[in-house]
Amino acid sequence: MKKIGDFFESLVVVVIIIALVHTFLEDFSILAGWTVPARRWIIWAGLAIDLIFTVEFFTRLYLAIVQGRAFDYFFRERGWIDFVASIPLLLLNSLPSVLALLAGAGLVSGMGSFLNVLKVIKAVRIARILRLLRVVKLFRRIRYARSVLAQRHIATITTIGVTVLVAWVLIANFMGGLGILPGLDKPFLSSQADHARYLAESGAGTAQVPARARALAAFDPTLLVVRPTGGQTSWTRFDDSYYATHFLPGDYEYFRLNGVEAFFDGRPVAKAAAREGIVFFVAILLVVLAYILLYSPRFALDITDPVHVMKRGMEESGYNLEVKIPDRRAQEDVFELAGLYNRMFLPMKDRESASQEQASALGIDDIRSFVEKQ
Amino acid sequence: MMKMDAPGDAIPRFVSRMFDAPALKRLTALQREEQALQFFRQNGPQLQPLLASMGIGGAPNWQETVAQLVREARSLADSMLEKEISRAADERVLYIFLPALGTSRPPSATVHEEIKQLCRRSANHPVARLALAGSLSAVLSDVTDKYISHIWERRKYTFMEVARVQRLTMKAEEGADLLRLALLVRPAAYLHVVADARLGTEAGYAPVQEAALDRAFPGLRSQLAGTPPDVVRMGIRSALSFQATPGLEAISRLATILALRGRSIAPAMVVDRGADSPDKSWFNVARRNAAWRGLDPRMLDELYSIAAENGW
Repeated sequence: MKKIGDFFESLVVVVIIIALVHTFLEDFSILAGWTVPARRWIIWAGLAIDLIFTVEFFTRLYLAIVQGRAFDYFFRERGWIDFVASIPLLLLNSLPSVLALLAGAGLVSGMGSFLNVLKVIKAVRIARILRLLRVVKLFRRIRYARSVLAQRHIATITTIGVTVLVAWVLIANFMGGLGILPGLDKPFLSSQADHARYLAESGAGTAQVPARARALAAFDPTLLVVRPTGGQTSWTRFDDSYYATHFLPGDYEYFRLNGVEAFFDGRPVAKAAAREGIVFFVAILLVVLAYILLYSPRFALDITDPVHVMKRGMEESGYNLEVKIPDRRAQEDVFELAGLYNRMFLPMKDRESASQEQASALGIDDIRSFVEKQ
Repeated sequence: MMKMDAPGDAIPRFVSRMFDAPALKRLTALQREEQALQFFRQNGPQLQPLLASMGIGGAPNWQETVAQLVREARSLADSMLEKEISRAADERVLYIFLPALGTSRPPSATVHEEIKQLCRRSANHPVARLALAGSLSAVLSDVTDKYISHIWERRKYTFMEVARVQRLTMKAEEGADLLRLALLVRPAAYLHVVADARLGTEAGYAPVQEAALDRAFPGLRSQLAGTPPDVVRMGIRSALSFQATPGLEAISRLATILALRGRSIAPAMVVDRGADSPDKSWFNVARRNAAWRGLDPRMLDELYSIAAENGW
């Protein structure tokens, strides 16, 4: 049973690493202008990953419920991270993206269901940020410190650090959406909105719409398609096959005004968002790595190493090494305790052990190992 | 597939493998013996089934098996000890200090053999054997050389005690040589001590009575005819308490400390991160227990400083 559990845990670590690479590639593919088929694979992979994490979350939750520790799992063992990094992403990000692909990918003409999906994608794009929480999932599962205390402590501050960063980015994005904290894409989107209003001024069904579209297309290269709501295309820059091979659902900016629908190229905005995504991803990775590579050894030196030495000194009769106390830290709680251990406990132990049998440097495991080798 | 030994071979083979276990491999023979005996005493219930799987334990009772193991450990230690005694007496004590003591003639041809004979005699006595463990370990290690060279370089308390109070003017290497000889003579101070179960292995390090040493001195002096009597005296007086013996020679005080240190020297010891070095830790504990152990606290302070400065 333990072997199955270990295998499951190892598998989860592998999937988390794949998920992190996927998170990076999802943004990088937009920034680097990868082909639509390649990006389509990335969207499908995103669904698979979110499904796996959803199954993982439900499995862990089920086991926790069976063992009567569901509350502990969710709140104390950071099950909420498993939850936030799985179901919302599946429902708000990867599933709608895949549905949009299934609904006709980049084809814009006459696709009512596609448009609905497009709206959903735009509305929940923010949820993608939650993927960054998987960094916490990864470092929570890898054992990078000898001490349980150090492991738990670093995991806690990593979770706090990453969660605060992700939460802030999420809030900032919401505020951007509400216009309270406009993003760098605001002028770009405002310009497209102005152009859409210009196209809609004459009203749907008039001959002025295609004429205005042609005129506008000359100085706005992002204008792609204009049509009356639900009707036939009035004007298009490319044919459908081009859209199918060069655009994915998330690449459009869509406006509907006065019975006129206008599709703009949203890839520059998507690129800006992808750049932001990569910056946040790297920032979070750096924060976590800094905790592990810089703070974790510091924590070990200040807390767990002295505690480990004192614990061995108290447990093993033959272990008499003192705790090393750096001069400038002697006033700190742990080193004050270590000072007492050095000054009082060890000499007392030395006197005490003189009247008692010393423990042998050999342990029963040493004997067992050579008996087994024989 | 576990290989079963012939009944007569099983115990020697087991003890031999035990002596070669990584935890003991780099210790001296007597240190290994001490560790093995402690192990037998402390792990009987767990050891019994393991030994049974090796075909050991056919004796009528467990106590008899343990007695066989103890005998075998002692016999194996004895066979290794001879080589260590020879190495200590022949290679580590060169008598280069003799001119500094005012003896112009070279040591007699038998002087090394006399020392070896004394060590063998000590090894055959239950208490002196315990004392020999620390002395041999200190002599065979580099502890004498490294501390003496720093003591001489610093010219502080210990050096002054040797040079001014004890009036020994010699170079550092001569001092180290003298100290090693004193260490090898030291166990002889326990040859007349009766084993005390309460003291256990501490018996070889507990201070003895000065009067008892005075009685033993003539006999030892005749046994070590080639060694200057002062050196024999320094050696056996290292079994005295500093606090109880005014005017105790500096070399004797130093030998007491290093014999005790030698007892717990573990060359392959891995120092945990966050722990202080073995020598520094040991000297710090020893200086706090100096009065209780009969050691010179100022000498321990100096040795502690040397260990701290050098990261030993």
